[in-house]
Amino acid sequence: MSNHFAKPEWNIHNVSSCTGNHTLHAVGVGRAMKKYKHEGVVFSSQGESSVSEGYVYEAINGATNEQLPVVFVFQDNGYGISVPKKDQTANRKVADNFRGMKYLKIIHCNGKDVFDSMNAVLEAKEYAMANSTPVIVQANCVRMGSHSNSDRHELYRDNAELNYVQEYDPLAKYRRMLVRYKRFTEEELQAIDAEVKLEVKKAHKAGLTAPDPDPASIYDFVLPEAYVSEKYPEGTHSFTGNEKKLIEGLNETLKAEFRHNPDTYIWGQDIANKDKGGIFNVSKGMQQEFGKERVFNAPIAEDYIMGTANGMSRFNDKIRIVVEGAEFADYFWPAMEQFVETTHDFWRSKGQYAPNITVRLASGGYIGGGLYHSQNIEGALTTFPGVRIVYPSYADDAAGLLRTSMRSKGMTVFMEPKALYNDPKAATPVPEDFEVPFGKARVRRAGSDLTIVTYGNTTHMCVEVADKLAEESGKQVEVIDLRSLIPLDKETVLKSVAKTNKVLVVHEDKVFSGFGAEISAMITEEDIRKVRCTSKTCGINIYSCRI
Amino acid sequence: MKKIGLFYSFNTIKTAKNAEKIKNAFGDAVDIDKVNVEEIDEETFLSYDNMVLGVPTWFDGELPNYWDEFMPAIEDLKLKGKTVALFGLGDQVGYPENFVDAIGILAKALEERGAKVIGLTSTEGFTFERSAALRDGKFLGLALDIENQAALSNDRIKNWVEQLKGEFN
Repeated sequence: MSNHFAKPEWNIHNVSSCTGNHTLHAVGVGRAMKKYKHEGVVFSSQGESSVSEGYVYEAINGATNEQLPVVFVFQDNGYGISVPKKDQTANRKVADNFRGMKYLKIIHCNGKDVFDSMNAVLEAKEYAMANSTPVIVQANCVRMGSHSNSDRHELYRDNAELNYVQEYDPLAKYRRMLVRYKRFTEEELQAIDAEVKLEVKKAHKAGLTAPDPDPASIYDFVLPEAYVSEKYPEGTHSFTGNEKKLIEGLNETLKAEFRHNPDTYIWGQDIANKDKGGIFNVSKGMQQEFGKERVFNAPIAEDYIMGTANGMSRFNDKIRIVVEGAEFADYFWPAMEQFVETTHDFWRSKGQYAPNITVRLASGGYIGGGLYHSQNIEGALTTFPGVRIVYPSYADDAAGLLRTSMRSKGMTVFMEPKALYNDPKAATPVPEDFEVPFGKARVRRAGSDLTIVTYGNTTHMCVEVADKLAEESGKQVEVIDLRSLIPLDKETVLKSVAKTNKVLVVHEDKVFSGFGAEISAMITEEDIRKVRCTSKTCGINIYSCRI
Repeated sequence: MKKIGLFYSFNTIKTAKNAEKIKNAFGDAVDIDKVNVEEIDEETFLSYDNMVLGVPTWFDGELPNYWDEFMPAIEDLKLKGKTVALFGLGDQVGYPENFVDAIGILAKALEERGAKVIGLTSTEGFTFERSAALRDGKFLGLALDIENQAALSNDRIKNWVEQLKGEFN
């Protein structure tokens, strides 16, 4: 069966074509089973070549370390398309590469024999459930045909090999065994064949005669529903209490949501070790209050952090997960394959699975850090449909957006301007129950002479510059703090542009192909009838502008 | 010496050729029936007290289908009083982790049902990593590697058959 098909109601999940990356999902489901004391086991099925992928190591290492009931089934047919296994790894049986791992049982079986396979998988299941530890089943198989329609196996397999794989045909052997040991007669098997052929023929015909999809449906199942704020529909407030720092807004909201929903979990690198609570201490005190079952460290493996979040979220839709995706946003790149995977899941499952995950990332410069401590990555992340991306500049928005993220279905990337965590500039009064809906920008300073569209660290710079310009020239600049990059509040931006006819887009990311370029393009496209407007994009770190 | 049943697949080339050499090594004085293992049933199998079985190792240490499909039947047989010698082809270079495993798999299954396995041979001259056919440092039968040591096969067969002549009843 193609791995793209799924039957969620039978707990058979869809996996992508990135071979073996569902091993991380399997480990995430296993973690949920253990936490919820669910009596069960997770099966992950894959080819032997997929074991060459680095994330498969992360998955098996994690399953042994967390002692999870996951059975990894390696179907070894000797090839990754045309690449023979001798070009993949030194051990002829890839399962042997994992022999040193503690708590891991390895079972070998003849994957061409139904009964041996059944016994091996049954043994694996019982062992994994009884011991709550992972098992690898290595099944020796053969590939009867080419890998796919685009492959021609006669280009790299000689006649002798093609002959012996025919000898090995597991279905033919199964059939012979059933007849030899009188489980079925030949006539009974032929009747089953005929019945199945008819069923497949009918399904094939139904597929061919089905109407083409409605083009308008391409936007279906891109994102699941967001949490709707009834009290703060515009994401604004008039609360006048004590000011809190941005880091306090985040920490207190995390704790409040963990008290509100017992099915919340957080993990990441440095997330919890005694008094350490996150690389910047955003999650400080959480493990002490909510325990190690809900607040825990992750290995230094960003893909594992993301992939197991995706998997654990599959266990049930009450679960809400927060991860620190990496120590700094700059280190998120190793997790990109799982990020991309997770953006696709809701669409690929036709809305049957929503990964309910908030990915927190400390982002941007201005802390005196080096190359890998100062980058902005939102320009890359916003190119993927299927994720919301928010980027607050102030404590109240950080708190409100985090609450909305943690109560919504689907994945939200929560970019945190780390330079503002403790900066008094970003401190504001924060209502205890504040909520900021997605896609609602906030006008931080009203004006009629120029519109500045910005977010994150640069919001504060823009407000300061606008104040200075007003003081020096009397010109009034309107500063729009986007807060949400996806979904984008086009209405607020276009309304301001219609008023000022001049726009400056200011962001911290790259000028070329940064997120600001998209805003500029959107204004040009949406406001085409008012082309008088001039749009410039500034990348603050690069000190350059373009028209 | 009682009559020997020489069981191997008649559809094979390499195993059949070596089975023929074994028959010839016994000479005309020994009564040997060649039996196509692909067509056997329990009755045929039980009709011999002395048996020589040809069991090459397939792939990563597996029995050939024709033996594997007979295994459920073996599990129900009483083999006390049967004396069995096994020979098998393997590839110590291509499959060093499973060299002549099939000899061991079949030998152990027969022993469990009461058969006596004879014809154990030395591992000297072979280089491999693991084998399911080992017991106390010896193979549970005659290992032949015509992929890598074809020139040694004739002598190995000759010596083995001489050994069997002393071990069969």
